[in-house]
Amino acid sequence: MSKAPALELIDIHKTFTDVEVLKGISLKAYDGDVISILGSSGSGKSTFLRCINLLENPTKGEIIFNGESLKLASSGRDLAAADMKQLTKMRQQIGFVFQSFNLWPHMTVLQNVMEGPAHVLKRPKQEVMDYAEHLLNKVGIADKKHMYPNQLSGGQQQRVAIARTLAMDPQVILFDEPTSALDPELVGEVLGVMRKLAEEGRTMLIVTHEMSFAKEVSSEVVFLHKGVVEEKGTPDKVFNSPDSERCRAFLSSTY
Amino acid sequence: MIDLHGFGDQLLQGALITVELAMASLAVGLVLGLLGAAAKLSSIAPLRWLATIYTTIVRGIPELLTVLIIYFGATIVLMAIASQFGYDDYIEVGPFAAGVTALGLTFGAYATEVFRGALQSIPKGQHEAATALGMGAFRKFQRIILPQVWRVALPGLGNLFLVLLKDTALVSIVGLDDIMRKANIAVSSTKQPFLFYATAAVMYLLLTIISMVVVTWLEKRASRGMRRG
Ligand SMILES: Nc1ncnc2c1ncn2[C@@H]1O[C@H](COP(=O)(O)OP(=O)(O)O)[C@@H](O)[C@H]1O
Repeated sequence: MSKAPALELIDIHKTFTDVEVLKGISLKAYDGDVISILGSSGSGKSTFLRCINLLENPTKGEIIFNGESLKLASSGRDLAAADMKQLTKMRQQIGFVFQSFNLWPHMTVLQNVMEGPAHVLKRPKQEVMDYAEHLLNKVGIADKKHMYPNQLSGGQQQRVAIARTLAMDPQVILFDEPTSALDPELVGEVLGVMRKLAEEGRTMLIVTHEMSFAKEVSSEVVFLHKGVVEEKGTPDKVFNSPDSERCRAFLSSTY
Repeated sequence: MIDLHGFGDQLLQGALITVELAMASLAVGLVLGLLGAAAKLSSIAPLRWLATIYTTIVRGIPELLTVLIIYFGATIVLMAIASQFGYDDYIEVGPFAAGVTALGLTFGAYATEVFRGALQSIPKGQHEAATALGMGAFRKFQRIILPQVWRVALPGLGNLFLVLLKDTALVSIVGLDDIMRKANIAVSSTKQPFLFYATAAVMYLLLTIISMVVVTWLEKRASRGMRRG
């Protein structure tokens, strides 16, 4: 591909107090890429994902979105956004789906989905509502739009959270273990929605423990170990003939 | 209304003043409480110290003294400031303004703790979901955090309001024409202390009951969506 990547991370480091959790991770995501990030618990997957939109401030590194480098400045030991406007704009275009959904409990399902486009992007109310209903329909929650998040199952909540993210029309979506907080019988419905998004050609970075899902939908798989990229490549390569012994051991223990 | 030796109207006027004082103090106190809580949770150390000094002093002084100190002190302070600008006339701080200041400060100091607890009870993920959407700090506070803080803080604030409502009686000592002072005036002219103090008590009780009903209604409204269905 000759086109510039939609998202590029260069040499991301992160140190918490005195533990270096990320030791220089680089990654490129082109439009339409679905990149799964695998690794054992504590390997730094979530931290890496959270560094991309600065939910966590990286200690070192560069974040380039659509060819534009995010301006960073030292803040203590870490780097923080030097231009809040730029960061905010970038966050509006990079969706984030959390392990614990984080829906807003005081708003109905529909209000949760409308909040971003209506109050952040300030789009016309009617247009926002129509779009929100369309998205809820797409994730299969249309009949529950007037319910509150606490009245829904975990799987339904996560699908609402995905709709909330989609409502911003993000160019890239980051998924942080979206099914890890779910009862096993609810995992499928969320993966189903994500599979549909992948088929639509959405650009996605997915931290997951769902190996068969990752193998099936990814264009690229990255295996992290102790804060470094230990293995990366096509699903076929990583799952069937990994170079790394650790990657092989990890996969055989979980998959 | 019952005539009460001609003092019935007076007591009702007093009740109006009492309610006005309570509402104005509540407004001031809520703002101070939110600011105090924000300061206590701030990463800026001097702000934290300031808030701690505020709550420690105000909570450590009997409310009656706070009222007296504000009432007499405010005049001295204001006149000192005014004289710097060449203005030497006597400035009087009315009992109402002094009462709102004193009771607002008191309510704010206790409300600081209520709001602080409520702010801390909001999970980090609630902030992050808004941040990740590109919501600015102000909008996030207004749309996402405050409504949830409000729900958690309401019962505590309701209690503080009941205390505030009764503390308004202290402001009668500096001459505010509230229920308490009207009752005292009626007592000294009719020599019927039991009748008028009992009437005043019933009036405070009625105000308290109304407040409790309102708070319960607000709590119900604020907790929509919070119960598992
Ligand atoms: N806010 C934090 N403060 C201190 N340590 C953290 C914090 N967040 C994560 N860590 C540590 O960083 C390491 C990597 O965590 P994480 O990125 O969540 O790994 P993974 O997602 O691969 O399970 C863990 O050892 C974790 O304890």
